[in-house]
Amino acid sequence: MQAEGTGERLTELMRAALDGDAAAYARLLKEVTPIIRRLAKSRSTGSADAEDMVQDVLLSLHAVRRTYDPARPLMPWLMVIARHRVADFQRRQVRQKRNEVAVDVLPETSSEDRTNISNSAPGDPEELLRAIAGLPPGQRQAVELLKLREMSLKEASAASGMSVAALKVAMHRAMKFLRTVLSH
Amino acid sequence: MQTDDLIVSLAGDARPVRRLAAPWMRLLSWLVVAVPWMVAVVLIMSPRQDLGDKLNDPRWVLEQAAALATALTAAMAAFCSGVPGRPRWEHVLPLPPFALWVGLLGVGCVQTWLQAGPEGLDFRPDWICFPGIVFVGIGPGVAMVAMLRRGAPLAPVLSTALGALAAAALADFGLRFFHAQDASLMVLVWQVGTVVLLTMLAAMAGPYVVRWRHVAGR
Repeated sequence: MQAEGTGERLTELMRAALDGDAAAYARLLKEVTPIIRRLAKSRSTGSADAEDMVQDVLLSLHAVRRTYDPARPLMPWLMVIARHRVADFQRRQVRQKRNEVAVDVLPETSSEDRTNISNSAPGDPEELLRAIAGLPPGQRQAVELLKLREMSLKEASAASGMSVAALKVAMHRAMKFLRTVLSH
Repeated sequence: MQTDDLIVSLAGDARPVRRLAAPWMRLLSWLVVAVPWMVAVVLIMSPRQDLGDKLNDPRWVLEQAAALATALTAAMAAFCSGVPGRPRWEHVLPLPPFALWVGLLGVGCVQTWLQAGPEGLDFRPDWICFPGIVFVGIGPGVAMVAMLRRGAPLAPVLSTALGALAAAALADFGLRFFHAQDASLMVLVWQVGTVVLLTMLAAMAGPYVVRWRHVAGR
């Protein structure tokens, strides 16, 4: 009975959110987050992973909120998206872990400082700043947020409005450009 | 970023949202684009001379009805697959008409075999079917992709396969108005074969065609 009441309240909040009510939308997202978190925790290996999954699901709900039919209950719609995104997240993690090698100590190329000069030299910071300034706006923003301000991909995505994938592509292209420019 | 901050940021982006229309409404919208394209291609290619006779041939009409029903149900299933929480049985909507379509052609092959023996099964290359179906199907296909991208990409492979089946089956329906090839075996191999091939290719491209918006940056 109580769950039914909760479901109806969430459905009402979603209807209001679709009409542009920001307060109702914030309340809805706050109320569904513990439900999503429970699902994420039951499928994750660590609490950080679970929180990443929760955020991923929230972003996905936001991205496809137009697909919600107000005539239908909210929870089945929401849980399908949550389960799909959590499964996607797990698949991504398995793919990443397959390519990672865990090591306690990073291998040194040599104990002699002399041979590592080219790797550890800071280079000319002015030259680097000039090269960054020469990047296209999107790539420059990616470098500033991810490298200079040391944000995570999700934080940079929220701050810039660019998607995580777009940030990765911009960063990759920026690094390629900087490498080329600075090597000359 | 903390989850609470993300919620504040998402709520800040709240604005009235234009809701996705019901699947049957989207089907009608798709037909508004797809059918005029198909008719235009048929007219450009010139309708076949014996069209009047064919319209009075029950077997031809039944095969065309099955192809059209396959296209309509596949489009409906494709649109349903992009709406979270809808029943799964909707995904198999095109199976009965597709089975009927293939079955009718199969029966045609058997009847020809029984009447004229193996020599009666006229089989030769008919390469025009592939570009013909692609040409008729390109308009409906592009419209379908644009519409599928507005849904939730829960099952990209399935959605694009169903969408491609819809466009290709409609294209074959159109093709038979200007391409005078009605031998069951030829239709089964070259036309239905092309439809199946295009559906498989689209399914493979599905994860690249239909993606999560915030991930794909659209």
